Amino acid sequence: MKNQMRELRGQKQWSQGELAEKLGVSRQTINAIETEKYDPSLPLAFKIARLFKQPIEDIFAVD
Amino acid sequence: MSSPQIIESVTPCSGQYSWKQDLRLNVWLAVAVATYLVDLALLRANPGGTPLGRGLCALAPIIPGLLYIRSWVRFIRGMDELQRRVQVEASLFAALSTIVVGAIIATLNGHGVAVLGAQHGLGIGGAFMVLFPLWLVGWAFANRRFK
Repeated sequence: MKNQMRELRGQKQWSQGELAEKLGVSRQTINAIETEKYDPSLPLAFKIARLFKQPIEDIFAVD
Repeated sequence: MSSPQIIESVTPCSGQYSWKQDLRLNVWLAVAVATYLVDLALLRANPGGTPLGRGLCALAPIIPGLLYIRSWVRFIRGMDELQRRVQVEASLFAALSTIVVGAIIATLNGHGVAVLGAQHGLGIGGAFMVLFPLWLVGWAFANRRFK
Protein backbone atom coordinates (compact mmCIF):
# COMPACT_ATOMS: atom_id res chain seq x y z
CA MET A 1 0.00 0.00 0.00
CA LYS A 2 1.31 3.46 -0.92
CA ASN A 3 0.90 6.44 1.38
CA GLN A 4 1.54 10.18 1.63
CA MET A 5 2.65 10.13 5.26
CA ARG A 6 6.16 11.47 4.72
CA GLU A 7 4.95 14.35 2.55
CA LEU A 8 2.17 15.30 4.98
CA ARG A 9 4.53 15.12 7.94
CA GLY A 10 7.03 17.27 6.01
CA GLN A 11 4.36 19.91 5.37
CA LYS A 12 3.65 20.10 9.10
CA GLN A 13 7.40 20.10 9.83
CA TRP A 14 7.02 17.37 12.42
CA SER A 15 9.72 14.87 13.21
CA GLN A 16 8.86 11.16 13.22
CA GLY A 17 9.07 11.25 17.01
CA GLU A 18 6.62 14.16 17.24
CA LEU A 19 4.14 12.45 14.93
CA ALA A 20 4.54 9.20 16.88
CA GLU A 21 3.72 11.02 20.11
CA LYS A 22 0.63 12.66 18.60
CA LEU A 23 -0.62 9.28 17.39
CA GLY A 24 0.36 7.33 20.52
CA VAL A 25 2.63 4.91 18.66
CA SER A 26 6.38 4.32 18.58
CA ARG A 27 8.76 6.11 16.19
CA GLN A 28 9.58 2.75 14.61
CA THR A 29 5.92 2.36 13.62
CA ILE A 30 5.90 5.76 11.87
CA ASN A 31 9.12 4.88 10.06
CA ALA A 32 7.77 1.47 8.99
CA ILE A 33 4.56 3.08 7.65
CA GLU A 34 6.48 5.82 5.78
CA THR A 35 8.84 3.32 4.19
CA GLU A 36 5.79 1.20 3.29
CA LYS A 37 7.06 -1.83 5.15
CA TYR A 38 4.00 -1.89 7.35
CA ASP A 39 0.35 -1.10 6.67
CA PRO A 40 -1.40 0.46 9.67
CA SER A 41 -4.56 -0.99 11.13
CA LEU A 42 -7.86 0.68 10.22
CA PRO A 43 -8.17 2.52 13.58
CA LEU A 44 -4.63 3.90 13.23
CA ALA A 45 -5.24 4.88 9.60
CA PHE A 46 -8.35 6.81 10.70
CA LYS A 47 -6.37 8.48 13.47
CA ILE A 48 -3.74 9.55 10.92
CA ALA A 49 -6.42 10.88 8.55
CA ARG A 50 -8.06 12.83 11.38
CA LEU A 51 -4.72 14.28 12.49
CA PHE A 52 -3.83 15.49 8.98
CA LYS A 53 -7.47 16.53 8.29
CA GLN A 54 -7.49 14.59 5.02
CA PRO A 55 -9.78 11.84 3.69
CA ILE A 56 -8.24 8.44 4.37
CA GLU A 57 -8.17 7.56 0.64
CA ASP A 58 -6.04 10.65 -0.06
CA ILE A 59 -3.37 9.39 2.34
CA PHE A 60 -3.47 5.67 1.63
CA ALA A 61 -3.86 4.03 -1.77
CA VAL A 62 -3.57 0.44 -2.91
CA ASP A 63 -0.54 -0.21 -5.18
CA MET B 1 -1.48 10.93 23.92
CA SER B 2 0.36 8.42 26.16
CA SER B 3 3.45 6.74 24.73
CA PRO B 4 3.20 3.02 24.02
CA GLN B 5 5.43 0.57 25.85
CA ILE B 6 8.53 -0.31 23.86
CA ILE B 7 10.97 -3.18 24.20
CA GLU B 8 13.87 -0.68 24.40
CA SER B 9 12.58 0.36 27.83
CA VAL B 10 13.64 -3.05 29.18
CA THR B 11 16.78 -3.41 27.03
CA PRO B 12 19.93 -2.22 28.83
CA CYS B 13 22.16 0.19 26.84
CA SER B 14 19.30 1.02 24.42
CA GLY B 15 19.26 4.68 25.45
CA GLN B 16 15.62 4.39 26.55
CA TYR B 17 16.17 1.87 29.34
CA SER B 18 13.97 2.23 32.43
CA TRP B 19 14.92 0.14 35.46
CA LYS B 20 11.41 0.62 36.88
CA GLN B 21 9.86 -0.86 33.75
CA ASP B 22 12.46 -3.63 33.71
CA LEU B 23 11.76 -4.48 37.35
CA ARG B 24 7.98 -4.45 36.78
CA LEU B 25 8.35 -6.84 33.84
CA ASN B 26 11.10 -9.16 35.02
CA VAL B 27 10.69 -9.44 38.80
CA TRP B 28 8.72 -12.70 38.49
CA LEU B 29 11.36 -14.15 36.19
CA ALA B 30 13.98 -13.47 38.84
CA VAL B 31 11.73 -15.07 41.49
CA ALA B 32 11.16 -18.11 39.22
CA VAL B 33 14.90 -18.58 38.65
CA ALA B 34 15.65 -18.17 42.38
CA THR B 35 12.89 -20.66 43.28
CA TYR B 36 14.22 -23.11 40.69
CA LEU B 37 17.77 -22.90 42.07
CA VAL B 38 16.58 -23.27 45.70
CA ASP B 39 14.42 -26.24 44.67
CA LEU B 40 17.34 -27.91 42.90
CA ALA B 41 19.49 -27.54 46.02
CA LEU B 42 16.68 -28.79 48.30
CA LEU B 43 15.92 -31.82 46.12
CA ARG B 44 19.59 -32.77 45.93
CA ALA B 45 20.09 -32.30 49.67
CA ASN B 46 16.99 -34.38 50.54
CA PRO B 47 16.84 -37.32 48.14
CA GLY B 48 14.64 -39.34 50.50
CA GLY B 49 11.65 -36.99 50.74
CA THR B 50 8.04 -38.07 50.14
CA PRO B 51 6.88 -38.11 46.49
CA LEU B 52 4.25 -35.45 47.27
CA GLY B 53 6.81 -33.16 48.93
CA ARG B 54 9.34 -33.66 46.14
CA GLY B 55 6.64 -33.07 43.51
CA LEU B 56 5.44 -29.86 45.13
CA CYS B 57 9.00 -28.67 45.53
CA ALA B 58 9.87 -29.46 41.90
CA LEU B 59 6.75 -27.70 40.56
CA ALA B 60 7.05 -24.59 42.78
CA PRO B 61 8.82 -22.46 40.08
CA ILE B 62 5.73 -22.80 37.88
CA ILE B 63 3.81 -20.28 40.03
CA PRO B 64 6.27 -17.37 39.58
CA GLY B 65 6.74 -18.58 35.98
CA LEU B 66 3.01 -18.12 35.30
CA LEU B 67 3.10 -14.70 36.97
CA TYR B 68 6.02 -13.79 34.69
CA ILE B 69 4.00 -14.83 31.64
CA ARG B 70 1.14 -12.65 32.93
CA SER B 71 3.41 -9.59 33.28
CA TRP B 72 4.85 -10.28 29.80
CA VAL B 73 1.33 -10.46 28.28
CA ARG B 74 0.42 -7.17 30.01
CA PHE B 75 3.60 -5.59 28.69
CA ILE B 76 2.78 -6.70 25.13
CA ARG B 77 -0.78 -5.36 25.48
CA GLY B 78 0.64 -1.92 26.30
CA MET B 79 2.65 -1.80 23.07
CA ASP B 80 1.52 -0.19 19.84
CA GLU B 81 0.27 -2.38 17.01
CA LEU B 82 3.60 -2.86 15.19
CA GLN B 83 5.58 -3.60 18.37
CA ARG B 84 2.85 -6.00 19.47
CA ARG B 85 2.99 -7.81 16.16
CA VAL B 86 6.78 -8.13 16.39
CA GLN B 87 6.56 -9.47 19.95
CA VAL B 88 3.72 -11.88 19.19
CA GLU B 89 5.68 -13.26 16.22
CA ALA B 90 8.86 -13.57 18.30
CA SER B 91 7.05 -15.18 21.24
CA LEU B 92 5.21 -17.62 18.99
CA PHE B 93 8.46 -18.54 17.23
CA ALA B 94 10.17 -19.08 20.60
CA ALA B 95 7.30 -21.13 22.08
CA LEU B 96 6.90 -23.38 19.04
CA SER B 97 10.66 -23.85 18.66
CA THR B 98 10.95 -24.77 22.35
CA ILE B 99 8.26 -27.44 21.83
CA VAL B 100 10.25 -28.77 18.86
CA VAL B 101 13.49 -28.80 20.88
CA GLY B 102 11.67 -30.58 23.75
CA ALA B 103 10.23 -33.14 21.34
CA ILE B 104 13.66 -33.77 19.77
CA ILE B 105 15.25 -34.27 23.20
CA ALA B 106 12.42 -36.60 24.30
CA THR B 107 12.73 -38.61 21.07
CA LEU B 108 16.50 -38.93 21.40
CA ASN B 109 16.18 -39.92 25.06
CA GLY B 110 13.48 -42.44 24.10
CA HIS B 111 15.88 -44.07 21.65
CA GLY B 112 18.64 -44.28 24.22
CA VAL B 113 20.63 -41.32 22.89
CA ALA B 114 21.11 -39.35 26.11
CA VAL B 115 21.25 -35.61 25.53
CA LEU B 116 23.86 -34.14 27.84
CA GLY B 117 22.18 -32.33 30.75
CA ALA B 118 18.67 -33.20 29.56
CA GLN B 119 18.41 -36.95 30.21
CA HIS B 120 14.98 -36.36 31.80
CA GLY B 121 13.71 -33.80 29.29
CA LEU B 122 14.14 -30.03 29.29
CA GLY B 123 12.65 -29.36 32.73
CA ILE B 124 11.34 -25.98 33.88
CA GLY B 125 14.73 -24.24 34.01
CA GLY B 126 15.86 -25.82 30.74
CA ALA B 127 12.67 -24.71 28.98
CA PHE B 128 13.29 -21.09 30.02
CA MET B 129 16.95 -21.35 29.01
CA VAL B 130 15.92 -22.56 25.53
CA LEU B 131 13.01 -20.12 25.27
CA PHE B 132 15.01 -16.93 25.89
CA PRO B 133 17.66 -17.25 23.13
CA LEU B 134 14.96 -18.43 20.71
CA TRP B 135 12.87 -15.36 21.57
CA LEU B 136 15.95 -13.20 20.88
CA VAL B 137 16.36 -14.85 17.46
CA GLY B 138 12.64 -14.43 16.69
CA TRP B 139 12.69 -10.81 17.82
CA ALA B 140 15.77 -10.01 15.71
CA PHE B 141 14.17 -11.53 12.59
CA ALA B 142 10.74 -9.93 13.11
CA ASN B 143 12.27 -6.56 14.02
CA ARG B 144 14.56 -6.55 10.98
CA ARG B 145 11.60 -6.69 8.60
CA PHE B 146 10.28 -3.34 9.83
CA LYS B 147 13.56 -1.44 10.32
